[in-house]
Parts: sequence; structure tokens; C-alpha cells
Amino acid sequence: MKRGMLAAAARLFVFQASMNPERLQGLGMASAVEPLLRDLKGGPAGPAHRAAMGRAAGFFNTHPYLAGLAVGAVAKAEHQGLPAHQVDRLRTALKGPLGSLGDRLIWAGTLPATAAIGLILVTLTHPLVAVAAFLLLFNAVHVTLRLWGLQAGWRAGVKVAEALRHPVLQAGLRAVAPVAALAIGMAIPVVAEWLMAGFGTTVRWGTAGVALATVAVTRWLTPTMGAARLGILALTVTLILGWLR
Amino acid sequence: MEFATVGWLLLWGTVVGLDLATVGQVMVARPFVAAAVAGWIVGDVQTGLIVGVILELFALEVLPFGAARYPDYGVGAVAAVATAAGAPGHFGIGIGVAVGLIIAYLGEIAIQLVRQRTAMDVQRRREAIDSGDVTTIHRTHLRGIRRDAQRSLGLAGLGLLMATVVRVAAPFTLRGAVLLTAVAVGVGLGTTFVSGLRIGRHARGGWVWFVTGLLAGVTWVVVR
Repeated sequence: MKRGMLAAAARLFVFQASMNPERLQGLGMASAVEPLLRDLKGGPAGPAHRAAMGRAAGFFNTHPYLAGLAVGAVAKAEHQGLPAHQVDRLRTALKGPLGSLGDRLIWAGTLPATAAIGLILVTLTHPLVAVAAFLLLFNAVHVTLRLWGLQAGWRAGVKVAEALRHPVLQAGLRAVAPVAALAIGMAIPVVAEWLMAGFGTTVRWGTAGVALATVAVTRWLTPTMGAARLGILALTVTLILGWLR
Repeated sequence: MEFATVGWLLLWGTVVGLDLATVGQVMVARPFVAAAVAGWIVGDVQTGLIVGVILELFALEVLPFGAARYPDYGVGAVAAVATAAGAPGHFGIGIGVAVGLIIAYLGEIAIQLVRQRTAMDVQRRREAIDSGDVTTIHRTHLRGIRRDAQRSLGLAGLGLLMATVVRVAAPFTLRGAVLLTAVAVGVGLGTTFVSGLRIGRHARGGWVWFVTGLLAGVTWVVVR
């Protein structure tokens, strides 16, 4: 294993600590790649290390779980002595594809799928078992992806695009969105039944009516409002209408 | 609420606030996880779980693509549990969810403020950062964690304060509490339905999978 790999892997877990509108994850990138650059010519205080760190701290934004691929690839490119503009081009080229892949694989796939499975399990088993199952399922994918990404990026260097064609990654990408859609679909009636267990028929129909109205409002009337604001509005209106008195 | 319980809730609120984006992202910030643990802390896991599951329905809507803004449902869930816990039956659920949503939304705003502060910090040290000064880069990066910890702690504190005020001052009737819970569950289910359709769009024939899941769920409920 390359020296500094463990430190770099640990720093991937705080990749977004200094997220900001100016450079987004730039400092996170620099912080994570730093342990892998210490043995550049001249050592940690040498000009090669400083120049590489300065480049790494520039604007960068990608999916945090796949950032390891970029960190590994950039570190390898610096070790191979690529010209500065080529390293910059590599960073720029990786942002979009890694972001897009991670968004589809994690945010629109693994996370909603495992969360929905967790919700279903809440209704079936001991609550803490459901919570533990969700955390284990999700983090098995999450942690594997972070660690694999760093290793794969380091191995591939500028040919990191080949790592993105890994068959497991591609199969996961194909499978995860249908699983998420299926799990969410299944969770809705199961969770509704669980939450409404103590209520009578009138309240249940009322809840179904609110749900239908919410679908109409969020899908057709205010698609950009967001669930939290819609929820606050709905609950505030309910309070103001004086139902609590 | 005992002093030690408040302390543990503040600590847990800080942990889940950090987990949202800054440290780990191992998803302890998901509302049903955050709320279950908060429920365990206050000695009412069942209420914690109900509140957490309702907030999770809201949170499933969030697809944090790119630099998207999204509510901090984890700290919101802690505040929601602090509001609802110990109330008889479903008495505190709806109002707890309302407090949770408000805190989650305030968390979203607070994250933007923290990131702007970080940007100012970076601007002040631009020269050292661009020259590759490791110490400056590392310290600036770590100050982001401290800033987000302060945000999470403050937000959790505000949540507990709101919870206390609501528990003492809110004029509840059983009818009103039930109505509030029904509206919270209804809005949550509705947004989850829309989320399912949106996520289905990422797969070929995704809506078929979603409808298949719905039918399977309905069948499961009827048969069970």
C-alpha cells in the first residue's frame, strides 16, 4: 500500500469540512491528497509539494463518496510529473463524471433504497434492529466506495476513467434506481398503515386526502417549494385555523 | 427534562448536525436514526421512532445533487423528539414534527451562513492557500469543522428551547393534536410519493418499479 494512503482515506471522511461557495470542496481535496504528496521530490517542504498543494486547493466539486478516485488520480499524476496544466485538466475532467455517477448511484439510488428498506423494517422488527440494518446496509456501500475509489484512482492515474467502467459499478448503477423506486413504493402503504394504526377511519381518509393534495401541490403547483417548507406551511395553516382550541 | 438528558441531546444534535455533510456522512443524520437515538436518550424510543419516521418521509424528498441546499433534518429530528416525548398517545407527534421541520429549515439557512463564513476565511488566506502552504490549508479546512459544530450545537440548543416553550405553552386539545399529526403524516406520505416518482425517473421503466412496489406494499398491508 502506498505510504499516506490510510491518512488520505481518513481525510476523505471530512472532505466537505470547508465547503464554501468560492472553491466548494477545493480545500477538502487539498487536505485529502496531502499525505500522498509528502514523498514528492524535495519532501513536504519542497517546491513540488507546495506547487501540487496550491493546485489541489483550487475550485473542485464532485460527489463526496467518489472523491477518492479524484484524490488518488491527482496524486498519481503529480508523482508522474505531469505538467501543471495537465493535472488541472484531469481535475476538471473528473468533476462532472464523478459527480453525476455518485448522484445516481448514491443520492438517487442507494440512500433512498436503504432508507426505504429501513422504514419498512421499522414496522416489522425491533426499531433498533431497523436502524442498525439501515446503517450497515448503507455504509457497506458508502465506505467500500470511498476506500475503493482512493485505491483505484491511485492505480489508474490519468486513466481513471477506466475505473469508472468497473463492472460492479456499472451493474450497481443499473440496479439501484429500480430497487429504490420499488422500496419507496412499498414503504408508502406499509409505513402509512404503521403510523395510522391507532386512528379511526375518518382520520385515515383525512390523511389520505392531505397526501393527495400534497402530491398535487408539490408535483404541479409548487414543484420547487421543498417538503420542509410545504410541511411548515401546512402545519401552520392547521394551527392558525384554530383547530387546537 | 433533566440536566444530563439535555446535555446528551445537545451532544447528539451536534453529532448529527456534523454528519449531514461535514464529518463522516455515515447517515446518523437521517431523521429516523437521529430520532430513534434521541428517543432512547429521553426514554421514549417509540415516540422517537414515530416522529423520526414521519420526518424521514419528508427527508426522502432531498436529492443533494451538486451544491444543492437542503434542510438539516437530523437536528430537526432531535428537537422534534424533545417536543413530543413523554406526551400521552399521539398527543405530541404533530407539534413535534412541526418543531422538527422549523429547525430543519433553520439548519438549511445556517449551513449557508457557515459556508459564507468559510468563504471569507478562505479569501483572507488566499495567498497562502494558493502558494500551497500546508499548515494554512489544513487549519482553514479544520476551522470548517469547528464552525459547523458550533452551528449544530446552536441549532440543537434552539430546538430544545423551542421544544420546552411548546411543551409548556401550546394549548392542546386531543382533536387538534390528532389533526396536526394527520396533516404531518399526510404531507409526508405525499412528498414521499412524489419522491418515488422522481427517483423512478432515473431508471428505465422506473415508474413501473414504483407502482409495483406500491401494489406489493398494499398487498402486504391487506394480507398481514
